[in-house]
Amino acid sequence: MKISRVPATIIGVVQCVIAVIAMVFMLMLYFNMLQVQTIFNLPPELLPFYLIVLGLFSLISIISGGYLVLRGQK
Amino acid sequence: MSGKLLDKEKKSGLASAIIIGLSGAIGFEIFVLLNYAYFNLSGPSMISALIFCGLINLTTMLSYSELSAAIPEVGGEYTYTKVAFGGIISFMAGSLRWLASVFGGALAALVFVEQLGSLFSILLPSITDLILINGSLLIIGIIIILVILAVRGTEAASTIIVVAFLAIFLIFLSMSVTYTLTPQNIVPEASPGSIASFFATTAYIFPMFVGMRALVAGAPQIRNPGKNVPRALLVSTILLTVVYFAVAYIGVGVVNPTEADAGPLLNVAASRIMGTIGGVLFSLAGIIASVSSMGTAMMVQSSLLGGMSRDGYLPKVLQKVHKRFGTRYVAIFASSLCMIFFGTSGAVVFLGYAASFGSLLVFALVNLSLIKLRRKMPRLKRPFTSPFYPLTPFVGIVMSVLLLVFPLVLRDVNAESAIISSLGLVAIVFVTYYLRMVVREIDFDRLRVAVGGASFGSGVTIMVLGPTIVPPSLFPFILLVGAVSVIAGILNIVAARTKN
Repeated sequence: MKISRVPATIIGVVQCVIAVIAMVFMLMLYFNMLQVQTIFNLPPELLPFYLIVLGLFSLISIISGGYLVLRGQK
Repeated sequence: MSGKLLDKEKKSGLASAIIIGLSGAIGFEIFVLLNYAYFNLSGPSMISALIFCGLINLTTMLSYSELSAAIPEVGGEYTYTKVAFGGIISFMAGSLRWLASVFGGALAALVFVEQLGSLFSILLPSITDLILINGSLLIIGIIIILVILAVRGTEAASTIIVVAFLAIFLIFLSMSVTYTLTPQNIVPEASPGSIASFFATTAYIFPMFVGMRALVAGAPQIRNPGKNVPRALLVSTILLTVVYFAVAYIGVGVVNPTEADAGPLLNVAASRIMGTIGGVLFSLAGIIASVSSMGTAMMVQSSLLGGMSRDGYLPKVLQKVHKRFGTRYVAIFASSLCMIFFGTSGAVVFLGYAASFGSLLVFALVNLSLIKLRRKMPRLKRPFTSPFYPLTPFVGIVMSVLLLVFPLVLRDVNAESAIISSLGLVAIVFVTYYLRMVVREIDFDRLRVAVGGASFGSGVTIMVLGPTIVPPSLFPFILLVGAVSVIAGILNIVAARTKN
């Protein structure tokens, strides 16, 4: 099955943007910027869990999106 | 001849081996883990869980003894799994041990702040709040100081600490004779909920015992290790269990399970029995124990990372040794950053469970290594053999798995988040191994399929679970994120397959 370059690149870029947003949100949670922990009513005990989940999701998304963008450029 | 004599004189005997075991095990854990176990999990039956912990620990320590006597090399569980299985299993054992040490070190940093707050609440109450509010800064500060000391190679005076601890506990126990204790039922009730709580408590307080493996790691320095190490393990485990049992029993008899807000269990009990001096003594002991544990954790972490880097599993930069002080400073910095990250989160219970789960998985792998080596190398010289084989390693594996499962049966949200996080980090371990050891020999297409699968899975999870977690206003965004992850996952898998 052949994959069109343009849609693959668009999906790749969107996924990279989502990864960056997740990473920024992770940092905001960690440093409690704009009181996000209070806004989302997060118990402090579960903070590391959310940080790890967001970190893993960002990592997977950035690699996956990066592959698609690279594929589109070839 | 003279060389042999000198070597014999240099090595430690049974008494020193017992001290090594005790100094490895007695640490900051008793000051923190008993609190949640008593006030939130199982109440007074926590004391029975302590004895159970001692027994489980002993079964795996017998496996450790056999392996350390047969393979007297540095590296502990990482080395044993490397000889038995090699490859991914040994990499996983080393990584899990490192993670457990990072979580333990972060927990020690939190205990440091808690005990400092407890000390100042007695001596200078006006600045207690200031200490607790700036806990994160204190954690960063103390870890940076310890990093500098660790890079300089300063060793902890563990023998002095263990003797001081035992002395403090003995004073506490002897003074409690005059105190009227409230009788408590320490046997868990015969109900499913109570049994689940009992096992969850055992899992949670398990890190109080695991430090005893320091004795096994130090086996090459012990005279006649084939005999002395197992004896020292047995004596240390019995001594430790008795001391923990007695201290916890007094604590439970003095502090009511409903007094969770009064402060740390042992500090409150010490203040009530011994007065102000008791509170000060226990706070100081907690501070010294946590600082010592953080220092030890850093050295263990740098040693593990250095070893895995030497074997090609991790980048070579982690082996870099400081020109002046002779320590692996890059590995120490890398580990310390992780400790700061988790320590400043302030999640005591999460870190307690996470440290325990890491150790339990390592214990299971060590027992598996023993079984594997008995089959793979039947003629290997074994100065000590684990008694009742294969019962002891089998019991060790089963108990490790049970202790991992029971906190989840109890639906303890802290345990659930700790185990999911641990599994996520194990996934990173697999990907790291794949990148370092597999991909460089094949090509990047297999990695692409793996990442595509992970992206697809996370997308489906987000689309299914997202709407139940996030507020309705975020539904469209969550669905978009899930859909993009699913499509990207499919595209990556298809692209990799098409190329082939």
